[in-house]
Amino acid sequence: MKTKFTKALAALAFAAVLASCSKKKDIEVVPENPGNFILAVTPVASTGVADYLVTASSLDTGKVSIVGNGTEQDGTYRYYVTANNKFFSMLYGQGNPGAVTAYNIVDGKLNKLTNFVTETVQAFAPVKDDILLVKVPRTISATGTTNALWYRVNTTSTSIAAEGTLNATEPTGNGEIAHFSWIRQIGDKVWAPFFGIKNSSFHTDYPDYAGIAVYSYPGMQLEKVIKDTRTSFIGRYFTDGLGVVENSDVYAFSSSVAVNSGVLTSTKPSAITRIKAGTTEFDLSYFLNFEEVSNGHVITNWLYIGGNKFIAHMEPKATRGAYKAGIRLAILNVVDRTVNAVTGFADPATISSITTNNYTPKDGRYGYVGVNLTDGTTWVYKIDASNATATKGLKVEGGKITAIQHLQ
Amino acid sequence: MQVKKLLLLGVLCIQAIFTSAQEKKSSLGGQVRTSTGAAIPAATIRLQNSRYGTVTDAQGSYKINDLKPGSYVVHVNAIGFKPEKKEIRLVAGETGTLSFSLEESAEQMETVNVIGRTKAQEVNRQAFNVTAIDATKLYNTTLDISGALDRVAGVRVRESGGVGSNFNLSLNGFSGSRIRYFIDGIPMDNFGSSFQINNIPINIAERVEVYKGVVPMWLGSDALGGAINIVTADRYRNYADVSYSYGSFNTHRSVVNAAATHKNGLTLQLSAFQNYSDNNYKMDILAADIYTGQYNQGKTIRRFNDTYHNETVIANVGVLDKGYADKLLFGITLGQNYKEMQTGARPEAVFGAMHRRGNIIMPALKYKKKDLIPGLDVAVNANYNLGYEQNIDTVNARFDWYGTSKPIGTSGERSRTLAKYKNHNGLGTAMFNYNIDANQSIALSNVYNTFDRTAKDELNPASAENERKKKLNKNVTGLGYSYNVADKWSATAFGKMLYQKAVYGSPQPGLTKFGYGTALTYFLNRNLQFRGSYELSNRLPEAQELFGDLENQEGNPNLKPEGSDNVNLGVIYTFNLNRVHNFSLTANGIYRYARDFIFSRYNLNQTKLVLDNKAGVSTIGGDAELRYAYKNWLSAGATMTYQYLKNLEEYVYDTQTSTYVSSPVYLDQMPNIPYLFGNGDISVFLKDIGKKGNNLSIGYNLLYVHAFWLYWPSLGTASAAQKNEVPQQFAHDVNLVYSMAKGRYNISLEARNITDVALYDNFALQKPGRGFYLNLRYFINKHQFKND
Repeated sequence: MKTKFTKALAALAFAAVLASCSKKKDIEVVPENPGNFILAVTPVASTGVADYLVTASSLDTGKVSIVGNGTEQDGTYRYYVTANNKFFSMLYGQGNPGAVTAYNIVDGKLNKLTNFVTETVQAFAPVKDDILLVKVPRTISATGTTNALWYRVNTTSTSIAAEGTLNATEPTGNGEIAHFSWIRQIGDKVWAPFFGIKNSSFHTDYPDYAGIAVYSYPGMQLEKVIKDTRTSFIGRYFTDGLGVVENSDVYAFSSSVAVNSGVLTSTKPSAITRIKAGTTEFDLSYFLNFEEVSNGHVITNWLYIGGNKFIAHMEPKATRGAYKAGIRLAILNVVDRTVNAVTGFADPATISSITTNNYTPKDGRYGYVGVNLTDGTTWVYKIDASNATATKGLKVEGGKITAIQHLQ
Repeated sequence: MQVKKLLLLGVLCIQAIFTSAQEKKSSLGGQVRTSTGAAIPAATIRLQNSRYGTVTDAQGSYKINDLKPGSYVVHVNAIGFKPEKKEIRLVAGETGTLSFSLEESAEQMETVNVIGRTKAQEVNRQAFNVTAIDATKLYNTTLDISGALDRVAGVRVRESGGVGSNFNLSLNGFSGSRIRYFIDGIPMDNFGSSFQINNIPINIAERVEVYKGVVPMWLGSDALGGAINIVTADRYRNYADVSYSYGSFNTHRSVVNAAATHKNGLTLQLSAFQNYSDNNYKMDILAADIYTGQYNQGKTIRRFNDTYHNETVIANVGVLDKGYADKLLFGITLGQNYKEMQTGARPEAVFGAMHRRGNIIMPALKYKKKDLIPGLDVAVNANYNLGYEQNIDTVNARFDWYGTSKPIGTSGERSRTLAKYKNHNGLGTAMFNYNIDANQSIALSNVYNTFDRTAKDELNPASAENERKKKLNKNVTGLGYSYNVADKWSATAFGKMLYQKAVYGSPQPGLTKFGYGTALTYFLNRNLQFRGSYELSNRLPEAQELFGDLENQEGNPNLKPEGSDNVNLGVIYTFNLNRVHNFSLTANGIYRYARDFIFSRYNLNQTKLVLDNKAGVSTIGGDAELRYAYKNWLSAGATMTYQYLKNLEEYVYDTQTSTYVSSPVYLDQMPNIPYLFGNGDISVFLKDIGKKGNNLSIGYNLLYVHAFWLYWPSLGTASAAQKNEVPQQFAHDVNLVYSMAKGRYNISLEARNITDVALYDNFALQKPGRGFYLNLRYFINKHQFKND
């Protein structure tokens, strides 16, 4: 009897040894970095990818890591926006409704305020006390009107306060859908620069004009369409092409990346245009050919840092594309009409991508841009517009930066 | 075209068979009983000085066909009984009858129940890492095959909801199409949604074999991580087994199994089953208002768009026990299913009208012959599925959990579609086994698969994707050699050649892969068995993976095959204390190293999933099962499984730059995979309750799954508040079975999830709460040797 027990125990031990042969890897532990900056970080992995939100006390120096730190989000492909001193993490839910989580910062740490549900949308921006979301259709209805849907999320009650529809083909006037590149509050109106699309491949037969649809708020009635044939459309898919300077003049950029049947078709250059404060017409006296002043680049994104200065993301014209985000930086002064390439920034050959949701204190001098290098390291670069230089600041470990935001 | 080819193959086979069946043979049959007349199952019958032998079935009957006329000495052995032998002279063309009445041997009386092996236990004694479920013991339950599999060590079935919901079975950490399914050794690839392990009731099967990691060559397939073989009931020649159950969530299930066989061998076999459920169970979710987006706190909500039903009939007609065939059957499987879809990947996406349908229309041919020429066993199967699958999303509305809706856009609930496709899937298998002598055998198998998809969507008639040609031909050839010394040791070695050719618009380059493996077992004594096996296994990309599913998944014709090194070591030990406490312990250790692992990721504009290869994953783990029986009225058991899946992808492909960058989760544990889980069960059998021949059994089953992280364990603050976790599961089920008239009438009552806790296999997708099911079953069997 005794030997039988011994045998049974030996067999169990054998199973236990096999079962316990797991080993953890050694990783340097970076402590938490409490502070009022929030960084959204996406790990580079082929499965099981979720975003992590980490805090930082400064973007100029130090280190943060998502290894063992950070608040996990449900999945990646999320979008982040700050409004009413709240940080909103929104799921882009593959066409379905998705959960939104709102946070604030308490004692340097993220504090979850509430969850609610909204639709997957193509444009969202703070407007007054709300975040306005717009869901744009991609196919033209065979019968009836083709509608876009809008939702007004109140940032105080964090709930959908109102919703409605827009006639999505009305702004173009040519039958194509006006796909909003982004939306922005200008005065007490909502301006929506758009690109025309005739199908879900985003093809257009009208590549050579810019249009901005102007809506009343909160009624969302189309009041006017501002058009300009000197450039192609303003902004890009998921990119805000409008900037408002201190005197309330509105500046707009065009990348010149309209596409038809898979090829770039616009004959207009990438350029900056202006709409004077209080008016709703393009200022025909102002035209900055970006390709000329930047030595052959197109502008793909920008960040207004104050004092008429933007940090512009650029791509050589030859390699431009509808979804090709530039990885070169320049300081664009829209009043002086100058473009100065930023020095000290990472060599484009070493850059995997740069963040498009970035931070500036709007002091007319500094901006912070996330940079993901091909060697796998990730940094926040501090850009000094006064001398167009960049320096490495905060180091981020474990993933790519997708957003840099700041709460009080 | 393919049908014609297959039919031609069948006709040729039959002709070959008829011409070879010239000589008149005899056969031998009979019954083995105790001195008091009770049947003795699993008694060994051996014919002295020959290769012939068999084992008695559950009724104590045996039959041996194709014997040369002449004199034989027949030996009978059954554990717990004294061996016996008798002589018989067999006349050409006739069946000799020889029955035995064995005397009980005082020695091991009490252990008979444990040691007398059923066919399922016999399977477990193979060299492969295999577990066989004796399905007959579950006939009075309402389990489907997947529910029964969930109780096997190393197996975890994850369901997204109630009856008919999506499931994902993992075997030692491998899941999806890395695991292949078979029914009677015939691959179930592309049987469609109408005939799957989540809708086939357990009563269809006699046993279910689970091969872990190393898949025997005679299951000719490209399984990477294991195989499940459903062995259907060939139990009786004339019988009827009818059951019906009704239970919570308006769930109805019926199963009819019947066979009628004429003396001349003509047989008709019928299996039919049906499942219906509203699946309207309550969920503890926070339901958001469609107008405000705000969650209503602390409410439970009933599911409202989750009705599932399926109906299937399998009919076979043919002959049994002829000189040219032990079995020659022509059959057809007809089935259909309807499934409403309640949610997307998260409960925030609620659907109120979306559903899918599918059917199966599958003619089949089955042929089997032992000793076609002395020593050569042959089996040939062919089938062709003419069924379709369809997704229906036509309501342009947004629903909330209260069933209210508001109109939205023009793109349906998710993506407006009526896409319908047929896969025109054909299959032919041939298996030859030659017994060189009592110890050695060689086996050769070949499995050929065709696939030719046609698709149309009346709502998107211009879809270029639907017009594109999608064809796939696959062939797997296997050759194996076995050496077997009964109850001492056995060894087998095999090789497989896999070939695949796809057409995706235009012909793609062909793929050839070689695999091989070996399995060894050694019996130290009658109670202690060691076994070890290894396979270099390969899996070719599936049609669905190459061509997409026309719904959520994009095709990737450039997908590479996966490969894996699979190693198993195991020990099985049975022993008893004082002859009344019987124990059996099975312990297995496993190691897997998978390369070019196929996984799904989002495509560039994040609207669909697309499959891709990644560097690799290794698994190390172990599972153990302990069973205990006290005399013959108490049985208890426990299984435990631990597995650690490690990510071996050091460099990961960055889609933004098309370059490889180092992965922050290299060597981390793979996320969203249960790694520690187990089962416990206890049953008591009470005989002659109320009346002689009436039995009562009471059983309890526990399922345990340890909590696991949804995303990578090393990332983020490791607390349930800051990371997404699939919580720990403790599910308790109880059942009560009362059988009357020696099992002819059965009434059973089942209660599932009796503590009514919120159970989750998948993040945020709650499974049904407490449910009660009443099951009625009638079984009658007219046995051939009843009156001998």
